[in-house]
Amino acid sequence: MSSDSHEAWLAELEAASRQKQETFMNGIASKLRRPRVTNRPDQPFRGAPDFWESFQWSSEERISMFTQNFQAAGGHVIHVADAVQAADFITNKAEEMKAARLLMQNQPSLLALDLQQRLSQAEISVWNDQPETDWRAKAAEADFGIVEADYAAAYTGSMTVMSSANKGRSVSLLPTVLIAIIPVDRLKTRLGEIMSDFDAAGREGLPAGIHFISGPSRSADIENDLTIGVHGPGIVYAVLVDSW
Amino acid sequence: MSTEGKMSVKNRARLALNNDFLRSAVRFTTERLRSGKIQASADHGSWDEWRERGRQIRLHTIANLDYYLTQFADNARANGVHVHFADTAEEAVQLSLNIAKQKSAQSVVKSKSMVSEELHLNKALESIGVEAVETDLGEYIIQLADETPSHIIIPAIHKNRYQIADLLSKEAGETLPPDTSILAGFVRNKLREKFLDAEIGMTGCNFAIAETGSMVLFENEGNARMVTTVPKTQITLMGMERIIPSWTDLEVMATLLPRSATGQKLTVYMSGITGPRRDEDGDGPDEMHIIILDNGRSLQLGDPEFQELLNCIRCGACLNACPVYRQIGGHAYGGTYSGPIGAVLTPALKKNVAEWDDIANASSLCGACYEACPVKIPLHDMLVSLRRRKVEAGRGNKLEGLGMKGFAAIMNNSKRYRAVIRLGKIGQKLVARSGEIRLKAGPLKGWNTYRVTPTLPKHSFRDKWPTLEQEIRGGLQNMPSGMEQRLQNIMKDRNKGGGS
Ligand code: SF4
Repeated sequence: MSSDSHEAWLAELEAASRQKQETFMNGIASKLRRPRVTNRPDQPFRGAPDFWESFQWSSEERISMFTQNFQAAGGHVIHVADAVQAADFITNKAEEMKAARLLMQNQPSLLALDLQQRLSQAEISVWNDQPETDWRAKAAEADFGIVEADYAAAYTGSMTVMSSANKGRSVSLLPTVLIAIIPVDRLKTRLGEIMSDFDAAGREGLPAGIHFISGPSRSADIENDLTIGVHGPGIVYAVLVDSW
Repeated sequence: MSTEGKMSVKNRARLALNNDFLRSAVRFTTERLRSGKIQASADHGSWDEWRERGRQIRLHTIANLDYYLTQFADNARANGVHVHFADTAEEAVQLSLNIAKQKSAQSVVKSKSMVSEELHLNKALESIGVEAVETDLGEYIIQLADETPSHIIIPAIHKNRYQIADLLSKEAGETLPPDTSILAGFVRNKLREKFLDAEIGMTGCNFAIAETGSMVLFENEGNARMVTTVPKTQITLMGMERIIPSWTDLEVMATLLPRSATGQKLTVYMSGITGPRRDEDGDGPDEMHIIILDNGRSLQLGDPEFQELLNCIRCGACLNACPVYRQIGGHAYGGTYSGPIGAVLTPALKKNVAEWDDIANASSLCGACYEACPVKIPLHDMLVSLRRRKVEAGRGNKLEGLGMKGFAAIMNNSKRYRAVIRLGKIGQKLVARSGEIRLKAGPLKGWNTYRVTPTLPKHSFRDKWPTLEQEIRGGLQNMPSGMEQRLQNIMKDRNKGGGS
């Protein structure tokens, strides 16, 4: 089909949808026995309970609780001082596990780890740095996916990765092993501290994909027997770095 | 006087009762999920304050649903999403098929969606020659078995590993051992091909954030991420009530949902998808559609007794807490939604009076579902209302009418209510000894007549009785002491938040 006729088809759906939306919304208002609400209503209760908003852990507590929670979910946590130690860790792991293909997000601080130099035998790719590559396939065949987390929350043991041109969603999803660098100053106590940034950013400030990751992919669908690595990475390392 | 629906529920329950594995699996799993939930909510502390907050957010959003839904649609469109509205299941199916045809799709990969079950979408896709592949491990298994899910959270709860190995071996063309990791490994490889081949990815929607037009998915396996990342076109099916205003409200839902569903602090993945991929992105769908579905939901709006049904976040906690569900499993309910929520939602979505009494009887009215519910939906009160409405609609016979009068009186007086429950327990003990059930009055009536049928061998019932009795007792002991107060408060709150 030509792209013109596809655009026309979409435009037709759009027109139908706008029309339908009116009857849909009017139907809701009449069921609720009142006129349509067109001005933003006052929201009496928004977000977490008040006592929760002031809840804070110290940096040490955040690190120890994140570690505890992430490990309880089956993930691994390493705490290092700086980027050099992080690079050492990744290098050792890659050698130990005989990782042949590594894929990392296109981030200056990840590039600065100099993994190509350190792992001369392995194939190291950088997300989306060449237009002609099939990046999906690259991610699917990678042994290690290496990302830099945008946030983490200690209370639930979660990290947050956000998509962009340089940060593919596939990098934290398709490789067998996920290694995530978490600079400790991005580690919060509560999920709400992260959420409020998204509210502040608003629609236009958000990327297409925001993913909270709290351990290895898992399922208990076969007789409640825990299986890891069902679709996503079965092995996940969170590398907490003091100065990144 | 027995309607067709009544017969079929009985038959389905009998089938379930005869399937020993099902019963023990359901009990085992629900027990595990339930203790996980109790643990997780206790760990978290101030659980009731969180529940109350969750309930308030849901009440407010539903009371202003037209505003938030419009805001969501506007923002999603601004993100580049194609938004559609469907009054009925048929309309939603037509929209989905229309998109599949336009995309010349051969194959659709899906992640778990109760709405899709509601639409019987897989059959519809197959009818136009499109393969529909469920990619959640449990859903994939039951799809191979050509069955429907029996639990919201663990759909293949009724299958053992040998049955699963048989199913997957057929698919593999070789014999696979009944080893969980090998079976899961086979599915991983098989489905990776399917993800890459599919033209369309289809998901449900746990929450939709009005202020940014984002849709949010909770999952553990990563298949929902695959479905929203790999195929070129993505379709999201969303019940019209899934809305919350903001991301900070999502923190509340993210606190309540996983803890209530599986006892996790958070699911392994929680994804917020805000539109199709940006031009410069290296992955993500090029085109994204969101189909917003009514299909009977709006019937609950403005109904003081049932509007709170729309607050449901589909966590399954009420199933795990329910002594009836724990005995008979999900298929006996015969609808897309099972357990206490299904017993109310199924007839409510259809406004099918004839079906009410039948399904509403699958409850011991012990209140465990309300206690478990993270947004405090008074399901057992709703079950009583359903029975009352059936009588009001003239569908019940005289005897039932009389029974309902007794019911109304009982429900107005918590002491008598408890007394009748106790009576029911004694009555059951007596009948258990004599091997048949003759209890005619009280809230347990439906439960009893439904559990025991003449065709069920007497000894099997007697064998099952000790556990059954314990189940019921366990449920009853959980009954809140301040029930009368609570019922009054609920009526007050409903009038407040009930959309007027
Ligand atoms: S009714 Fe409550 S407990 Fe049951 S699934 Fe819905 S939210 Fe969960």
